[in-house]
Amino acid sequence: MLSPIEVVLINSLDEGIVYSLDSAADRCGLSRDAVLKAAYMLQEKGFAEVLIEKKRIFSLTGEGKLYLEKGTPEEQLYNLVKKEGSISVERAREIIGRDKVNIAIGWLRKRGIISIENGLIKIKKSASFSERDYLKLIQEGKAVLIPENNLKELLNRKLVDFDEEKEISIKIVKKPAADSKEVLRDITPELLLSGGWRGKEFLKYDVKIPSKTIYTSKIHPYERIIRECRKIFLEMGFTEIKGNYVQSSFWNFDALFQPQDHPARDMQDTFYLQKFTDLEEEFVEKVKQTHLTGWKTGSTGWGGSWSIDTAKRLVLRTHTTAITIHYLARNPEPPVKAFTIDRVYRREAIDATHLPEFEQLEGVVLDKNVGFRHLLGLLKEFFLKMGFEDVRFRPGYFPYTEPSVEPEVYVDGMGWIELGGAGVFRKEVTEPLGIKGKVLAWGLGMGRLAMLRLGMKDLRRLYQPDISWLRELPAIIK
Amino acid sequence: MPVVTLYWDELERMVGKDRQTILSKLPMLGCDIERVEDDHVDVEFFPNRPDLYSVEGVARALRGFLDIEHGQKRYSVSKSDFKIFVEKEVLDVRPHITGCVVKNLKMTDEVIRSLMQVQEDLHWTIGRNRRKMAIGVHDLSRVNFPLRYTAVREDFSFVPLDFDTEMTVGEILRKHPKGIEYGFILKDHSTFPMIIDSKNEAISFPPVINAEKTRVTEGTSNLFIDVTGFDDNVDKALNIVATMFSDRGGEILAVDVIYPDRTETTPNLNPKEMKVPMREVRELLGFEIKADEAILALRRMRFDANTYTDAKTAEPDADITEKKNLEDEYLIVEVPPYRADIMHPWDIIEDVAIGYGYDRILPEYPATNTLGLTHPWNEIRDSVKEIMIGTGFLEVITFTLTNEKVQYKYMRRDATPWKDFVPVQHPLTEEHTIIRTHLLPSLLEVLSLNKHHPMPQRLFEVGDVVIGGLNRLKVAAVSTHSRANFSEIRSVAQTLLKELGIEWEAENDEDRAFIPGRCAEILVNGKSIGKFGEMHPEVLEKFQIFTPVVGIEIDLSDIFDVGEVL
Repeated sequence: MLSPIEVVLINSLDEGIVYSLDSAADRCGLSRDAVLKAAYMLQEKGFAEVLIEKKRIFSLTGEGKLYLEKGTPEEQLYNLVKKEGSISVERAREIIGRDKVNIAIGWLRKRGIISIENGLIKIKKSASFSERDYLKLIQEGKAVLIPENNLKELLNRKLVDFDEEKEISIKIVKKPAADSKEVLRDITPELLLSGGWRGKEFLKYDVKIPSKTIYTSKIHPYERIIRECRKIFLEMGFTEIKGNYVQSSFWNFDALFQPQDHPARDMQDTFYLQKFTDLEEEFVEKVKQTHLTGWKTGSTGWGGSWSIDTAKRLVLRTHTTAITIHYLARNPEPPVKAFTIDRVYRREAIDATHLPEFEQLEGVVLDKNVGFRHLLGLLKEFFLKMGFEDVRFRPGYFPYTEPSVEPEVYVDGMGWIELGGAGVFRKEVTEPLGIKGKVLAWGLGMGRLAMLRLGMKDLRRLYQPDISWLRELPAIIK
Repeated sequence: MPVVTLYWDELERMVGKDRQTILSKLPMLGCDIERVEDDHVDVEFFPNRPDLYSVEGVARALRGFLDIEHGQKRYSVSKSDFKIFVEKEVLDVRPHITGCVVKNLKMTDEVIRSLMQVQEDLHWTIGRNRRKMAIGVHDLSRVNFPLRYTAVREDFSFVPLDFDTEMTVGEILRKHPKGIEYGFILKDHSTFPMIIDSKNEAISFPPVINAEKTRVTEGTSNLFIDVTGFDDNVDKALNIVATMFSDRGGEILAVDVIYPDRTETTPNLNPKEMKVPMREVRELLGFEIKADEAILALRRMRFDANTYTDAKTAEPDADITEKKNLEDEYLIVEVPPYRADIMHPWDIIEDVAIGYGYDRILPEYPATNTLGLTHPWNEIRDSVKEIMIGTGFLEVITFTLTNEKVQYKYMRRDATPWKDFVPVQHPLTEEHTIIRTHLLPSLLEVLSLNKHHPMPQRLFEVGDVVIGGLNRLKVAAVSTHSRANFSEIRSVAQTLLKELGIEWEAENDEDRAFIPGRCAEILVNGKSIGKFGEMHPEVLEKFQIFTPVVGIEIDLSDIFDVGEVL
């Protein structure tokens, strides 16, 4: 059974004639690569022969081109001496050039064409020079007309160079036996309209032979994981929210009860912008009092001082919690369930597992009759929907939650892995913002999830794409 | 967050349990185990538990958690005649000082090691690198009480630790390693804190360096500890250090600190009392925990607790069950002096949960009833992605942090900081100095890195840019192969805008990123919402791309209502 390209090739060429690869390609309308492939396949089945000839392509070197134009040194010297009758070596050197004259003298003397007496060169016997003719032939691509020895000499003198080329030719040696019935190859509209296909057989193809690869366009694998998480939140009844990347320190830190001298607020870890923004009056005073004295929350507060200018400073948000807390302040009546999966920024040196920006996933639940136990229930369900059946909980710590928890999931082959953090927002966070009820919150970095799901070792690959990786990675990964 | 090194033989001895037991229960106390070795374990505790930065503190916590001893460890402080007089000069430089004396301590290597670790960790965490709090440790026999805590001028001199000649304060700040490291804390002052003894010799220059004369050696058996700073963090740190020495067998003696307006006797190692309603415990934890269970849990965490019922709310002739009105049941909790993190009753309730055991709490999915809702921003984003994929483009995701070179210079465009783009204040590298305002340069960078992969390459990104400090949603696409041309990208524009249901017009545009005469502006109702065309060869040269590229970029925020963005 022949493949489509073999059929095309064998039908386009006449039996017994040697075709060059190019003319074969022209005749059958396939690319050179396809023709060669088909020819080898036919050769294996005994229908064709692939002949490879190593051909030498000769060309002139720089020196060769020079001599073609002006003549070889020996020819130049000979003509000069002939013209002048005799000439001193000195004079010859002046006219033709020292090196050339030396070469020429050597060559001519060896063949007894000149003699040198008292520094004077004289012609001893006449000579003719065919080098220029040979060089011309090389230039015209007719190297084959040059006698073997002369060609060798030109090569030795480095006047001529060569490249080796493979010349491929194809000969069909046998055509497959024709059936009594005509075998159809391509199905064409004409064939269909005329009904000419009736009563005929269809040529059978070898279905095992792979065809050309198609690079399909598709969703980014990371985006696929993000969509999966979005779906889970929506199934659990959460409202999606969105926030700007640039936020005030107030929403990113102060509203979350992070003291103004907390190390995370250092220049070291946060991208600050050299600009300030105005703040919403209604929350500022209460948040300030809570920081200083605890206000009415029942807390001791941080004491010290609280500067509104520090709060007004703009940052690239360091966590999505800046957005969820702002949303809750604007929607303080329970029940509220909100989530976001979006970019956050950390001022950290980049390596395989640390990036300056990455996606964080975060969900919050505001309700009256919920507590820590329900947070654990949410986490368990969320991780179950993500495919993690075994979850356990350890005490954790975040400046704005109490109690806090670090969930761990069991991954085959890796053991228990920490995946994100969670907790109940402190009263120092919710009360000054007028949020009524308790807020259960959890979040995780999407990068960690991507590494688990996509088997990646280097997170940079998510944002600095290698097209071959994107093309090769299957859409569905078990 | 500091990592504490705990040596197994010491820890096992102080706890009274073997390392396997300790290792299995430690994480449930609240920590991350970093590394387990044969002779030690490295553990990262949370920054709100500085009392766990020493083997003594960990052992104390574990003995409770592992049910070896419950409830508070009582610490006593003996009265003494030691006094520190605080002079008004220091009150606006570094006003708060506490101190204590430790006697009969065996200064073994273990103790010294522990002291150094806790001092360093406390300096870093509570002390915010010594700024807010600094601890000085002295050989008591070389200290002559009473002490004066005052502020001196730059020319005051003494022999600092590790040196043998006197140096002035100014010289120390300029030349001594510790002066160079910590001098910044005092940079706005012209007078400097100094603790001076009754012989008029300095014993400490907080927060920088002690005097050589009070250096602690192996022979030292009695210590004087000073802690200076600005607020009660000073007391918290002193309590942690004092209890640590007490756990090692030392006797703690008080020091009277005499301010111009009051006297404080430090350390105060008496527990603080806090009232926590059981109702709040149950509401926060989300289940009906009984008072005695809560008390047991707290005792495991080294608190003491008792219940207290406010009987006034019950009617005199109500029956017993009504009288025992759970609503008004309180826990009276005694908080150990070394717990620096208890700010609010909820901090106690977290300890109830930890003592009870997080693994014993039964998770329950909340009944909170709400409906799910997608955000318009993402709905539009997803629709556009679908269209681009259908048109044959591969999705890429890139960084938003970039630099002016790639975003503008390479694109032959100009831009003004803040008007056009947002610059970052202390960038970490030259590559990430601004947030992108355009997507096309990011895509060109991707092409540049993937030259060696088969053509054609058709990529797109739908993502955020930041203009004027606010996020905007954009889509951009590029196509590159040996025959990429204007026609192709115009087809893409036509398809995309048709699928988005948008009527538009093309106008010639002179954006220098594109070849002149081969760039079109997309106008919707007279407003420009995007561009497409053939990229200028100079742009391709800058990006080191050697096949022609056509590109398109559209601002979707301009066309659609993208919803509320906080």
